[in-house]
Amino acid sequence: MNPLELTLGIMTAVGGFVDISELVFAARAGSTFGYALIWVFAFATIGIIIFAEMSGRVAAVAKQPVFNLMRHRLGLKLGLVTLAASVISNLITCAAEIGGVALILNYLTGAPYLLLAAGMTVLLIVSIWVLPFKWIERTYGLLGLFMIVFAVALVAIHPPWDQIALGLVPQVPSGLSTKELLTFGYFTVAILSAVMFPYEVYFYSSGGIEEGWTPKDLLTNRVTSIVGMGLGSLLAIAILASSAQLFGPANVDPEIPGSAALQAAIPFGKWGLILALLGMLFAVAGAAVETCLANAYSIAQYFGWMWGRRKKPWEAPRFTMSWIALFGLAFGIVLTGVDVMTLVEFAVLFSILVLPLTYLPLLLLAGDQKFMREHANGAVAKLLGWFYFGVITMAAVAALPLFFLTSGGNG
Amino acid sequence: MTPKGRIKLVSELLDLPLIDSEGKYCGIVDDVELTGRAGNSLKFRALLVGPGAWARRLPAWASWLVRITVGARVTRVPIDKIRTIGPAVRLKVPGRELGLHQSEDRAVRWIPRKGAL
Repeated sequence: MNPLELTLGIMTAVGGFVDISELVFAARAGSTFGYALIWVFAFATIGIIIFAEMSGRVAAVAKQPVFNLMRHRLGLKLGLVTLAASVISNLITCAAEIGGVALILNYLTGAPYLLLAAGMTVLLIVSIWVLPFKWIERTYGLLGLFMIVFAVALVAIHPPWDQIALGLVPQVPSGLSTKELLTFGYFTVAILSAVMFPYEVYFYSSGGIEEGWTPKDLLTNRVTSIVGMGLGSLLAIAILASSAQLFGPANVDPEIPGSAALQAAIPFGKWGLILALLGMLFAVAGAAVETCLANAYSIAQYFGWMWGRRKKPWEAPRFTMSWIALFGLAFGIVLTGVDVMTLVEFAVLFSILVLPLTYLPLLLLAGDQKFMREHANGAVAKLLGWFYFGVITMAAVAALPLFFLTSGGNG
Repeated sequence: MTPKGRIKLVSELLDLPLIDSEGKYCGIVDDVELTGRAGNSLKFRALLVGPGAWARRLPAWASWLVRITVGARVTRVPIDKIRTIGPAVRLKVPGRELGLHQSEDRAVRWIPRKGAL
């Protein structure tokens, strides 16, 4: 295990953890329910760590990414349904990320939103075309570390640490009306979905293959997924806690990403705001790249095409055409004029609906001794995996009713 | 596992990725070709790759949709060209020799060969 590579890998995972949905829901959760939803972030982070570790292990041991083996495990028809569901979910998420990037740039420059969305789509395509795979991962991941300003801002405003710690205990606040309880339920489901977006796992697994992981890299996989995603989640929790401290008492609902950035402006002024916006910009742009590439990976792997960003674009032509077309489609969705926050709502909603379908093959593969030999899921991984699968299935069933009953968390 | 070993064809082979002797992905095992008759022993002859092979496994309306959008091409990979069967089917020869990279070759004409570091 190369310590420098490992550190960079962890830092990349931290910087790339937060995306537009987590930003929005962390800030809104804090302002609406104080510290009571921190445990959901912690709970969902353990879930994504479990599935990310499994996907990295499958990549390292079976030397095949998830979607290559998924079709074999689920069969052609169910595999096709899973692929379609995953592609639609990731496409909406990618559109939300592109819209989010354009919105943040709009705060920074004042230029027209749609023009910025078009410019950023082109820039993201060019960056994937030009940069080698590791640079793509690291450029966005490491620059996303500007987001640390949110954690520093939380320390600077001297929050009630005891209440934050109590927020880690699973709870439903007492004294809530039925309507508020439903909204609490909706936020719980939305945070679970935002943290456990399936694209993260597909991107991570395919990245492992691109980097040529072998069983020797299993420790790197475990450390990167646990530490990287664990620390990344702390940034989201910091946003929630700052929001609870600053926005909740003032009855401010930070619905748009710009409001979340104010958390750093309050203790650190203009430079805090700029750092927060830059961190958000790179983290969300990185998420746009990940969602789009994850989609192209899934399609190429399902049909057995050549794939990979380690190859030159012309060495995997159908894969290249796929990610460019997917960026075009995502931009097309933005171009329809749908509000970014509506896209975020849809991304989170659609993602939770398809989450069980996308995680089931991974769970089956990681437990399959034919492919995984002695590295197949042990008793603990099986227990945790199936437990989380049960939870996300229940969340998927509850998602639509909660969305309609609460008007998307707006009460 | 080698192609001459005993394998449960449907569960062990179908839908596995194909990797050629140059390490390139070149499709998925979309169907298998068998010889023999029902009631007698069946022999595994070849792998079938391409939309024409997997579309047959879909419902009629979906099969029609696949045929009119991506065609019905099927490429045959004889059993003696298979090296091993595991998490992927590895071939002894380059995919191009078996006609497996046609779609990639068509697509590559649209991709400019410059700009990537």
